[in-house]
Amino acid sequence: MTLSFFDQFMSPTLLGIPLIALALTLPWVLFPKPSSRWLNNRVLTLQSWFINGFAQQIFQPINQGGHKWAALLTSLMIFLITLNMLGLLPYTFTPTTQLSMNMAFAVPLWLATVIIGMRNQPTHALAHLLPEGTPTPLIPILIMIETISLFIRPLALGVRLTANLTAGHLLIQLIATAALVLLPLMPTVAILTGALLLMLTLLEVAVAMIQAYVFVLLLSLYLQENV
Amino acid sequence: MLSRLVFVSGSALKGSGPIGAGLVHASRSLHTSSQSQAPVPALSEKGGKVRHGIIPEELFQLLYPKTGVTGPYMLGTGLLLYMLSKEIYVINHETFAAASITAVIIYGVKKFGPSVAAFADKLNEDKVAKAQEVKDLAMTSLAQAIEDEKKEQWRAEGRSMLFDAKRNNVAMLLETNYRERLHMVTNEVKRRLDYQIALQNLHRQMEQDHMVNWVEKSVISSITPQQEKESIAKCITDLKALAKATQAKAAV
Repeated sequence: MTLSFFDQFMSPTLLGIPLIALALTLPWVLFPKPSSRWLNNRVLTLQSWFINGFAQQIFQPINQGGHKWAALLTSLMIFLITLNMLGLLPYTFTPTTQLSMNMAFAVPLWLATVIIGMRNQPTHALAHLLPEGTPTPLIPILIMIETISLFIRPLALGVRLTANLTAGHLLIQLIATAALVLLPLMPTVAILTGALLLMLTLLEVAVAMIQAYVFVLLLSLYLQENV
Repeated sequence: MLSRLVFVSGSALKGSGPIGAGLVHASRSLHTSSQSQAPVPALSEKGGKVRHGIIPEELFQLLYPKTGVTGPYMLGTGLLLYMLSKEIYVINHETFAAASITAVIIYGVKKFGPSVAAFADKLNEDKVAKAQEVKDLAMTSLAQAIEDEKKEQWRAEGRSMLFDAKRNNVAMLLETNYRERLHMVTNEVKRRLDYQIALQNLHRQMEQDHMVNWVEKSVISSITPQQEKESIAKCITDLKALAKATQAKAAV
């Protein structure tokens, strides 16, 4: 079975049955359910520690009204980081490489923050369109620029995640192919390429975690502005 | 986690007709625990034993009677070579990617595994230590309360001595007061009596003076001038004689 470079980005199917639902929901079994015991095993302790620490950190600068989003953003973070990290395994499908899915996360959440801001404190929300201390002649242009930047936000969120992960996966594929092809021809260069592949894999691990974190962080920032 | 699957699937299968019952009976030989839920089954302290980080020890135990120690390794090698030679698994670029991610994972687990486990254990231990501290604090404060109570009881026993001392105090005060009053009474009586004595003395003195005055007056008035002259002449002759005698004594 020969793989082309873009097979990993195709939605997985088995004999015509789409498996995308499984790909999205199966990572859930990796996380233990919080038990009613007072002292738990190591996995559950670490999971609880991570979730609590993350929620505290993200929601510290946001005032009380935004804390309703805690469950949503924390579970989003865990979902994204799991999908990203599992996608680094061979022969796996990474749902977060699909622009459709990332836009499906970015646009509604961003829109929700904007609508909340416009509804509850419209003056304050609109005031974000004009940074402090701009000289008077620049005001009209700056407002237009800020509006454009406001509407670009969901696009940026979605595309950032997609592009980072897709690029990373493609690079891994390409460099692995290079190593494979060079192995019979120039073994030394192949070994160097192998070392490069190792570094790249480390980078991809970091990128996977960072991109998920950045996605959620930016959403929390948009929330902070508007709540 | 697998034991949970057994519980759930067991209860699901039991209700699903003849096939379900047959499966339950057949799988009973695989059970390792007693399958009862009434006393909640205890959590195992450590996870299942694995060899080389990923292959459960049970596989090795399963194959040991028939193929000895090297059995599972031969099985693994054979399977791998079979899949490679028959091109069931084709070596492609993903193989290299798999090799590199496996290397990263193994390195990560070996390097950071123990410290992460120690961190998780420390989180639990801190929890226990906090509760233990509360318990110890409560125990010491209760023990202190017992000590204080015992002291109070000992103090309460001495209250009869306190009453005696107070009683003595009061008796002394009464005594002192009585003696003071006695003293005062004595003084007053003495004063009265002294007054009477002084009065009587004064009386006698005045009588005596009066009498002496009267006697003198009468004597002086009884002396006639004749008698006065005779007495003065006698006195002069006596004085002369005396003077002579004295001069004679002095000349001798």
